[in-house]
Amino acid sequence: MGPYGSTTCSGVSRSASSSSSSSVTKPPADIDGCLADAGYKVRSSDLRHVAQRLERLETVMVNSPGDLSHLASDAVLYNPSDLATWVDSLLTEFNHQPLISLPSDLDFSDGAVINNPAALPRETWTDNSSVIAAAPQQNHNQLTVVTAMEEDSGIRLVHLLVTCAESVQRGDLALAGSLIENMQALLTRVNTSCGIGKVAGYFIDALSRRIFSPQTVGSASGSVHENELLYHYFYEACPYLKFAHFTANQAILEAFDGHDCVHVIDFNLMHGLQWPALIQALALRPGGPPLLRLTGIGPPSPDGRDSLREIGLRLAELARSVNVGFAFRGVAASRLEDVKPWMLQVNPKEAVAVNSIMQLHRLLGSDTNRNSPIEMVLSWIRNLNPKIVAVVEQEADHNKPGFLDRFTEALYYYSNMFDSLEACAMQPEKALAEIYIQREICNVVCCEGAARVERHEPLDKWRTRLEQAGFRPLHLGSNAYKQASMLLTLFSAEGYRVEENQGCLTLGWHNRPLIAASGWQVMSMPEATTNQEAVGIINQNNNPNHI
Amino acid sequence: MAGSNEVNVNESKKVVPLNTWVLISNFKLAYNLLRRADGTFNRELAEFLDRKVPANTVPVDGVFSFDHVDRATGLLNRVYQFAPQNESQWGIVNLEQPLSTTEVVPVIIFFHGGSFTHSSANSAIYDTFCRRLVNTCKAVVVSVNYRRSPEHRYPCAYEDGWAALKWVKSRKWLQSGKGKDLKVHVYLAGDSSGGNIAHHVAVKAAEAEVEVIGNILLHPMFAGQKRTESEKRLDGKYFVTIQDRDWYWRAFLPEGEDRDHPACHVFGPRDKSLEGLKFPKSLVVVAGFDLMQDWQLAYVQGLKNAGQDVKLLFLKQATIGFYFLPNNEHFYCLMEEMKSFVNPDC
Repeated sequence: MGPYGSTTCSGVSRSASSSSSSSVTKPPADIDGCLADAGYKVRSSDLRHVAQRLERLETVMVNSPGDLSHLASDAVLYNPSDLATWVDSLLTEFNHQPLISLPSDLDFSDGAVINNPAALPRETWTDNSSVIAAAPQQNHNQLTVVTAMEEDSGIRLVHLLVTCAESVQRGDLALAGSLIENMQALLTRVNTSCGIGKVAGYFIDALSRRIFSPQTVGSASGSVHENELLYHYFYEACPYLKFAHFTANQAILEAFDGHDCVHVIDFNLMHGLQWPALIQALALRPGGPPLLRLTGIGPPSPDGRDSLREIGLRLAELARSVNVGFAFRGVAASRLEDVKPWMLQVNPKEAVAVNSIMQLHRLLGSDTNRNSPIEMVLSWIRNLNPKIVAVVEQEADHNKPGFLDRFTEALYYYSNMFDSLEACAMQPEKALAEIYIQREICNVVCCEGAARVERHEPLDKWRTRLEQAGFRPLHLGSNAYKQASMLLTLFSAEGYRVEENQGCLTLGWHNRPLIAASGWQVMSMPEATTNQEAVGIINQNNNPNHI
Repeated sequence: MAGSNEVNVNESKKVVPLNTWVLISNFKLAYNLLRRADGTFNRELAEFLDRKVPANTVPVDGVFSFDHVDRATGLLNRVYQFAPQNESQWGIVNLEQPLSTTEVVPVIIFFHGGSFTHSSANSAIYDTFCRRLVNTCKAVVVSVNYRRSPEHRYPCAYEDGWAALKWVKSRKWLQSGKGKDLKVHVYLAGDSSGGNIAHHVAVKAAEAEVEVIGNILLHPMFAGQKRTESEKRLDGKYFVTIQDRDWYWRAFLPEGEDRDHPACHVFGPRDKSLEGLKFPKSLVVVAGFDLMQDWQLAYVQGLKNAGQDVKLLFLKQATIGFYFLPNNEHFYCLMEEMKSFVNPDC
């Protein structure tokens, strides 16, 4: 095989995403399939460019090793999957050269003339990544087998659960019912205080409700007050929400840099747990804090109390104590899709951050309307022109149309979640956190149609959706990663993992990511197309004197 | 560093495809960022940079995988298997029945490389490799997420390997074979540091009379205090330097030890003999452009001297990591050899 001979790969094919998918989804034509299997997204046409940069970097390494250690310790690095941008950014860090074509003495020895494009602007890559993402993403099932107990009963429970779900899908409720009875009997012989026994218990309960008392299932899953309390316990008991808040705040803080009037729109205020940390961080900002407005969206309180306002008052008190100018506004709405942008009273001069912690998936539940709630909401978010949209979502595929698929996926997802909870310290919060999780399970398993709001979708799907809605990713970098890792050592147990996933961060249990955080920015018009003509047309419209 | 950098870069460019060169050069660059002169390691940045993939129930090319965590030790193994023919069975892992009662299905315990310091069982490059092994060798693969240095030095990796071997041997659902031959048919395999681990686990197994049928060592990581001819000749030429090799040994071996420590210098003056021991047959793969090949060839000779069964596959034009991408003849050659090694009757 000659130098740089054929690079065709006949190995395992995967989509360009880092997750596994069916072999029928090959990477888009220009992406190097071999490197995709190694977790890197590089266009074949960019390989020479990347190689040259790597050579350059090697030379730098040899000549100034001190720069190297600076890079490792001080520089903030982003999205290592995107090799082309990665090497360019490393070189920029070294500040050694503008990004232009390299002279031919660095030609590769096969004598080919380097057909080197001009410096690769980041925008170009982003455009192509939206093309990549548009290729249908096969669902990926992330399975960590229920490993808790390999007792016969434990394994049998899993088999029965899946068989039961399968009969529910088929409509054979008689069989499903008798399987429920079998499983309940089996439960008595299994340790239900941990592991598979505990998880199975919740799923048997959910299936049972779906089969035997479907009429109770659609009803509200608890009062507003109850939900907020459970959320708070879930926040305390395990690191997922802390990670979500922490990572979102970090991204928001960075996006607000240099702005004096900032406005955070929180899609689900709850007890406002996320905001004290941001207020304090803004107070300590070099150059002084900005004027902070917070708009908190939440359900209306049934008992006439204005609970949103109460939380706003407490946050105002905190802000006053650290000398941060602060204004709060509560927007009461039962559903996010009921919120209209005028209610948020966004001022065109302020820098806006939209914060969505596990809210967007609730908008996915409608039939094919022309204006689906998610599209509608993403559209008005876009129109607010936010500096950042911080999105955190469960990293799971719980919105599949087939019941069995959804059920199996949920079984493994929540097994992991319960396993991770077990590792956390024994507290009273833990039992209540479990109820919080149980409510989610019930919604995924028992509900359909508008009632099913827990429509979790994995990061890859959200990437596609957000890019199609006109957003581009704001990569969370090594700094956020480092801090998230530190947070973990403080607040949780051995076994939790933060991972970097193409500019996003995930937190999971061992090798299974369970929650994903990402940052987004509006893609402005000229970037949204690489078509020269289109740019010309825009110029024409903007300049009335142009002929 | 031996030779000018440009010369070295040109050497490696000539012998590997462009995408391989990019992949391995990128690793080299990243690893340089992570190793500190004082012997510490930037683990956080390493984890940030490492491309990882989750396990999958939906089969890819007929192979699915799942992770098993041993609650007692926190040790994680990723298991790769053929997907069941019946699609409705996807998503359910069969933990009750043996793999087969009519034929032998080899179980390969794989130790990923990374010089004892880098990578994980769920690193994309190794996940992909293990997946390919399942298809090529018609085997089940168990990839071990052993503890790494410098945080966990010798003998942690070996202990984790031994724990994994015991776990695999005791799984009913990994058994195969007809009648009395129903048992777990285990092979140990590994690249670089993984190869070193495979050897030491095999020694312990042989001493404890736990049966391992065969060892597959892909440019295994061995060394010694003296500098060999290949090290001097190839230093810095094909992605790897003597300096970085030294760093990793210092990070792995107990503090104050040198490279004649028996973990490193197998069959050296401080190591014991394998003569008379029922040691598994070995397939040792050596890359012709690997600067540490003299140590690997010495290992092969050492096995022969001890009367053990060993086959050497010497790939003259191969660099380290040739098996990561299926874009070269060495890759296919290796796959064929491994297939025959674990399926001797085919």
